Amino acid sequence: MSMAINGDQVVKKKPMQRFLRAFIDIRELTLLFMIAIIIIVMANLNPYFLSFSNFRALSVGMAPTAIIVIGMAILLASGGFDLSVGSVMALSSTVVAMMMLAGFSIPVSVACSLVLGAAVGFSNGMLITGLGINPLIATLGTMSIARGIALVLTEGFSLSSLPKEFGWIGKASIGGFPVLVLLTLFLILIFDLAVRHTRFFRQVYFIGANEKAAMLSGIHVGRVRIIAYAITGVLAALAGVLLASRLMSGTPTAGNGIELQVLAAAVIGGASLRGGEGTILGAFLGVVFVALINNSMTMLAVSIYWQMIVIGAVLVCAVALDMLIRGRRG
Amino acid sequence: MKHESIGEAGVERGQRPLFTLSGVKKTFDSNLVLDGIDFELQPGEIHALVGENGAGKSTCLGLLYGLHQPTDGTLQRNGHTVRIESPSHAQELGIGCVFQELSLAGGLSVAENIFAGRAPSRFGVVDWPELRRRAEDLLAEFDLSINVSQPVDSLPISTRQIVEIAKAISMDSQVLLLDEPTSALTPDEVDALFKVLRKLTAKGIGIVYVSHHMTEIFTIADRISVLRDGKKISTTQTSHTSQAQVVSEMIGGAHPGDVERSDDQLGDVVLKVEHLSNEVHFADVSFEVRSGEILGIAGLLGSKRSEIMRSLVGLMHGYSGAIIMHGQSTSFRSLRDAMRANIGYVPEERKTEGLFLEDTLYNNLAAASLDNHTRLGLVQKSSVIAACENAIKAFSVKTRGPEEIIGSLSGGNQQKIMLAKWLERAPDLLIIEEPTKGVDVGAKFQIHTELQRRAADGMAIIVVSSDFPELVSLSTRILVVHEGRVMGDIAAHDATEDSLLQMAAGISNTSRQTTEIPREGKAQ
Repeated sequence: MSMAINGDQVVKKKPMQRFLRAFIDIRELTLLFMIAIIIIVMANLNPYFLSFSNFRALSVGMAPTAIIVIGMAILLASGGFDLSVGSVMALSSTVVAMMMLAGFSIPVSVACSLVLGAAVGFSNGMLITGLGINPLIATLGTMSIARGIALVLTEGFSLSSLPKEFGWIGKASIGGFPVLVLLTLFLILIFDLAVRHTRFFRQVYFIGANEKAAMLSGIHVGRVRIIAYAITGVLAALAGVLLASRLMSGTPTAGNGIELQVLAAAVIGGASLRGGEGTILGAFLGVVFVALINNSMTMLAVSIYWQMIVIGAVLVCAVALDMLIRGRRG
Repeated sequence: MKHESIGEAGVERGQRPLFTLSGVKKTFDSNLVLDGIDFELQPGEIHALVGENGAGKSTCLGLLYGLHQPTDGTLQRNGHTVRIESPSHAQELGIGCVFQELSLAGGLSVAENIFAGRAPSRFGVVDWPELRRRAEDLLAEFDLSINVSQPVDSLPISTRQIVEIAKAISMDSQVLLLDEPTSALTPDEVDALFKVLRKLTAKGIGIVYVSHHMTEIFTIADRISVLRDGKKISTTQTSHTSQAQVVSEMIGGAHPGDVERSDDQLGDVVLKVEHLSNEVHFADVSFEVRSGEILGIAGLLGSKRSEIMRSLVGLMHGYSGAIIMHGQSTSFRSLRDAMRANIGYVPEERKTEGLFLEDTLYNNLAAASLDNHTRLGLVQKSSVIAACENAIKAFSVKTRGPEEIIGSLSGGNQQKIMLAKWLERAPDLLIIEEPTKGVDVGAKFQIHTELQRRAADGMAIIVVSSDFPELVSLSTRILVVHEGRVMGDIAAHDATEDSLLQMAAGISNTSRQTTEIPREGKAQ
């Protein structure tokens, strides 16, 4: 009975149409389909593509991006975004390295750099909600500051000869699967479920869809925003620590330009700068999709410059296609 | 159920009020908006708060919902003096609010919207089935059975308004603040709403009801308080006053009365529409408008009246039939095209379609007529400002001047500027949708007078409205549309609110032969 209105319309459509509609509506399905196509095509073009070592390299390479995209997707859903993620990643990778070289234990060093990431995220949130600075400007500022601090601390050099044990997370495997990748997948799964089902993260969507409405509904908009930025900061810092562990060095130039790659991947995955939409799984699949395209082009010996053009085109096409489909519906 | 005996009787017995405002003053940037307001709400009472726009009603509600804090005076809740810091604080104190501007998040489901931020959950994880069940129960009170999992975006405006009201009720508030809750509702929906409100008052809940619809207020309210220029003029039992009395208190003595209808002879046909059809929305629409004529288009939500108008001005495409402007068959590819042919179009949604809310009055005014104010490719600011000052004077717009941000004006004053923006172009044909939606009596009177003056000067005007008394008093002729078909074309002096309503609801039998067009689902 409660289906009265929707029921009428749905029944009229043929099952095939309904399937197609759902397929286009659910971005995750569309992306999975595209990913499958790339894999099938590439498997035929280059036998090495399907090899375990290629997939291993691919997934280890995209792990930091995939971890950061979680935070970015949450922020996009809330109607914000964060350009400082790449710098925070670099800062945490240098800080964790410096602390260990200064004799602090691994857990203390890691914890401190995660807290530092949270602090940068918290400041972003305060600048944006407390002072009302536009997220673009606020995080552009902290992006420059965080990168600057990393460079000042290291005078521009990478820090190596880190304790051997620190390399475990970045290098070890369980049953052939890199710990780094398993950890990433675990985080994606946890955050995807949390964002879909917990009260806290549902508030994020309200804020993104209609900030004033959220405020009038009694949601603490500022508090939720700040927490979302802090979470993003921690995730970016975690990505930095993991990168340092994998490379066994703290690099102040790490993650340069990653913020835009992450933004692009999240948007391809269904998030929008307008806020109120997108899922973690979708954003993750966006990262996988972009990584696969890059990987494929590398295998086909396409020049790195061409790769940039292709990724840009994919981003614009994905958004344009989405607008066209929605426009027709509205 | 134990409160059943409380009703109007409770008001008379004078038990402890749910809240009391005493001597409340509020200033914004040294502007005195509320000047010593005394106001109280009894349990089980519906207390109407009326006044022209800018009289201070919204500020009063804002104080009670924690959006502002009083500059002076006290606010007592259940006898305790409180300072309400935020909407969430107000909710903790048992005060819920329904705003005139819908406060829903479009992409989220109906159920999530109703329980925004308060979804039933265990260990922070939302209990979806329980959420849906509760939402369905609430909406059932309004005899509304919709799929609560669908996004709010997919609902028509009137249903969204009901969702909004359900949201306020879901907070289990003892005090409910309603700001123009019926502005988008059909008469049946208003009845359903009133039924729910009476159920709530029977439980001892007190309701502050802000509205411009006098008939509604006199149907539902127990008491009426009138505000004017930030002061309270009176508080009266509804049974001890009359609509005329309340209106004259609102505007301070002068009676606007009915706008005089000019029965001058009409000029040439400006626009003629023949057999206009669109596959989905409307079929076989024919009518004409003459110079000096005000043609009313009466239609309820879903009547497709906007789609017809949008097709005329080039905003919607894909129709068959003829649009003849000044004797020449035309078809506009865009609104720009229609503007070149001297047509003006004032859309229905002033916040989202009509105005640049964060821009100044003068920029809003000039937005459609920049050509008139441009010399050598440069916009002449002085000329725009002068035009704006004229418009402010002509419509008695309450503002600090042309430089003010339009979003800070009241709805009625915004509406005046939006109309002035198009009158500035002096179009041959002006199409205006819902000219006085959410506008107070004073502003309504001024808007009507201005439209009639323009018609007398030879402008052809099409007024689309769901305010039927307005159409009867304003138009020369009225075209009634129902589900995309013309149900009648009658002279205004033969029309009554009732006859229009019946036709608009599709009840009347007309002599017109109309082809059946495919009906869409009700959700459209």
